[in-house]
Amino acid sequence: MIPFTVIGGFLGAGKTTLLNRLLAGGTGRRFAVLVNDFGALDIDGALIAAHGGDTISLANGCLCCTIGDSLVTTLLALLERPERFDHIVVEASGVADPGRIADIAVIEPRLMRDGVIVVVDAAEVRMRAADRRVGDTVTRQLAAADLLLLNKLDLAQDLPTLRHWLSTHSSAPILEAARAEVPIDLLFGLDRHGAPGGSDTANAFKSWSYEWPEPVARSVLLAMLRDAPAGVLRAKGILRFADTVDRRSVVHMVGRRIDVDEQGPWIEGQASRLVLLGTRAVLDWAQRGNTCRDV
Amino acid sequence: MSTIVYSARRILTMNPGQPFATHVAVRDGHILGAGSIESLKGWGKFELDERFKDRVILPGFVEGHSHAYEGGVWKFPYVGYFDRVSPEGKRSPGLKNIGEVVTALQAYEKTMPRDGSTLLAWGFDPIYFGGRRMDLADLDKVSTDRPVVIIHSNFHVLNANTPVFAKANITRSTNVHGIVKDAGGEPTGELQEITAKYMAYRAAGIELAAVLSDEPAIRGFAKVAQLAGVTTATDLHNELPESTVEAYLRATSSEDFPVRLLPAFAAGSVPPEQGIARLQALMKRNNDKLRFQLVKIVTDGSIQGLSARMRWPGYYDGTPNGVWNIGPDDIDRLLLAYHRAGFQVHIHTNGDEASEVAIEAVERALAAAPRWDHRHTLQHAQMADAGQFRRMKALGMCANLFANHLFYWGDIHYAKTLGPERAERMDACATALATGVPFAIHCDAPVTPISPLFTAWCAVNRLTASGRTLGEAEKISVADALRAITLGAAYTLKLDEELGSIDVGKRADFAILEDDPLEVAPEKLKDVPVWGTVLGGRVFEAPKR
Repeated sequence: MIPFTVIGGFLGAGKTTLLNRLLAGGTGRRFAVLVNDFGALDIDGALIAAHGGDTISLANGCLCCTIGDSLVTTLLALLERPERFDHIVVEASGVADPGRIADIAVIEPRLMRDGVIVVVDAAEVRMRAADRRVGDTVTRQLAAADLLLLNKLDLAQDLPTLRHWLSTHSSAPILEAARAEVPIDLLFGLDRHGAPGGSDTANAFKSWSYEWPEPVARSVLLAMLRDAPAGVLRAKGILRFADTVDRRSVVHMVGRRIDVDEQGPWIEGQASRLVLLGTRAVLDWAQRGNTCRDV
Repeated sequence: MSTIVYSARRILTMNPGQPFATHVAVRDGHILGAGSIESLKGWGKFELDERFKDRVILPGFVEGHSHAYEGGVWKFPYVGYFDRVSPEGKRSPGLKNIGEVVTALQAYEKTMPRDGSTLLAWGFDPIYFGGRRMDLADLDKVSTDRPVVIIHSNFHVLNANTPVFAKANITRSTNVHGIVKDAGGEPTGELQEITAKYMAYRAAGIELAAVLSDEPAIRGFAKVAQLAGVTTATDLHNELPESTVEAYLRATSSEDFPVRLLPAFAAGSVPPEQGIARLQALMKRNNDKLRFQLVKIVTDGSIQGLSARMRWPGYYDGTPNGVWNIGPDDIDRLLLAYHRAGFQVHIHTNGDEASEVAIEAVERALAAAPRWDHRHTLQHAQMADAGQFRRMKALGMCANLFANHLFYWGDIHYAKTLGPERAERMDACATALATGVPFAIHCDAPVTPISPLFTAWCAVNRLTASGRTLGEAEKISVADALRAITLGAAYTLKLDEELGSIDVGKRADFAILEDDPLEVAPEKLKDVPVWGTVLGGRVFEAPKR
């Protein structure tokens, strides 16, 4: 299953800047990125392997153009291609509801819904939200977010009020940035081995991992994730739950959203493993993981 | 340089200087003159053709808002509530309950190869079934071996069978918008919006888009249109990939292609600099039957799809406001770019907020780049009120109103989406006339069948499917409705100097009717049989039903 991320946010919030950072970063993973407009992207010519109409093949993945009506067909064509991708990222249009696009991953067995990242223009979002013609579009986007990227922080006025206002429209954790400068691993997840990528994770962020040799109580583990402080931004675990000891359960958290999937039989001899990613400040809380085994 | 004079029981010309005639002379594909046989003799030697002497000739009908995939959907079985005519002229009878739909699909399924391929059908509309919706069990009676997908008439909702749901692993715990669930929380088999679209393409294979717009589809579309008396039709939203352009060119270059086709370029599909250059290049490939010149911007969704952008007080039943396909900022940007480049832009607006945004975008474009006779046209403009029509008039805009909606969805609009007051003034033809906004009326095929006489009947009678009269005050006369499906529609396409009326020098494009639409009772207008058409002087007889 390929992780599937949707980047939403109103016109001008900084979606393209974020995509440029994703494409420039050496994450060691192959991304397929579906965008509205190639022209707005700043693609390093040296990375371009081939340019064919609506698709550009890159050394580290590929770019597909999905402007207009073609998201569904482009995505289906992508899934039929022989080459493999580690992650698919869709740039939603500035007026789309990114949550609806992310729903595709729930009904497509080849995809795993990773998360909805909504980029917010710190200088303009409240004005846009007050506009009678687009206000509901903006607030629907905020409500659909698993993670909010509060961008253009350098242009924001009265940040405390803005943060509070955002919290009334979304329960998602807020990452703050200027020019969309955020660790790419925080947004696009842990790599396929369940470990955070190296170089890009800045000092302000940290990962923790746990191993439990014995089966884990589902309710305790899920409660722990639900109660996690806002600084825990992501989690991924491959777990042997006590109520389904013969199955591999994959737990996946982005922001406040938690998904659990069963993926095949448990392989004897392995240990349950959970990785958390978040800000350094919540380290103490993370020690609680040890309690899961005691229940 | 041969001249043929056709005699007729009566010719309705749409030319106010001479509204009626008995004879029309045709030379080189154009109209040499209309009047009495005596008045035409001065043009010299002619051959008199009397095959229409008991019939009535009108200017060929102009369908200002249709889609060529009307010709493509006939590759799949039709399971709608109302009778519908295929490109071959065969009438598919309407299916009046879910049992009939299932029986028809079971029969079709037996004709399919035993290879597990998908059964796709279209045109289904459960709103007429007294509240009963189709469910998984219904379609499992058709097959539990192959995927079965039934696309609703609005093209935004579908029903599927258990194999489709199983493959997608959709269960009661699948928490996704667009999966309809029953009171007990089980998925019913109905999917909506993007979930529906994804599943339709997935089940049918991604070549669905291609088969809906290939050359046979375009030819099928032209035939369906021609059967209804249409001689000029739009394909009013197309991204114009080269494969489709080639298909248009091949189809329209053949002598027996029976309509003039106007595709509208989907402005949202590429950045405007690219789109303008592409359209300008395509215009060099225009021929007598193919005209690249229109641009389309889709702003909101549909009223019955609960996705129209409405002004206060919004949906009558409290449904939240709809969604923008292209938002206000981008409407401004796209419109201004194509406006500056000299194009006429057709703007899809169903809700009145969408109409307001589009009108204001035109206002700003005109302030930035004054232009005469742009004729930017609101397509659908279903909720536009008198104030919006006055603004459209002041700005030089046109409207193409979705009169067929009154019949097909009028009852739903009255009871659920708009409420009595706004439903009774929707698709306001009389207001367009009173305010002087040039207007056409349309079908939006394949959303509703292409048949301009039916569309005119809707504008004249404003009857819903249940028989309710929806807004006495917005009715127009038969004469005005006939003008709207000929010269009125031609005006909204900037073709009115070339066609749309029977006048000297115009193209010899005619609709040939078995009866006189000005003499039949107005409520019988839709039943006037179409004998066929004449396109550029060439006669196309419709197959006998």
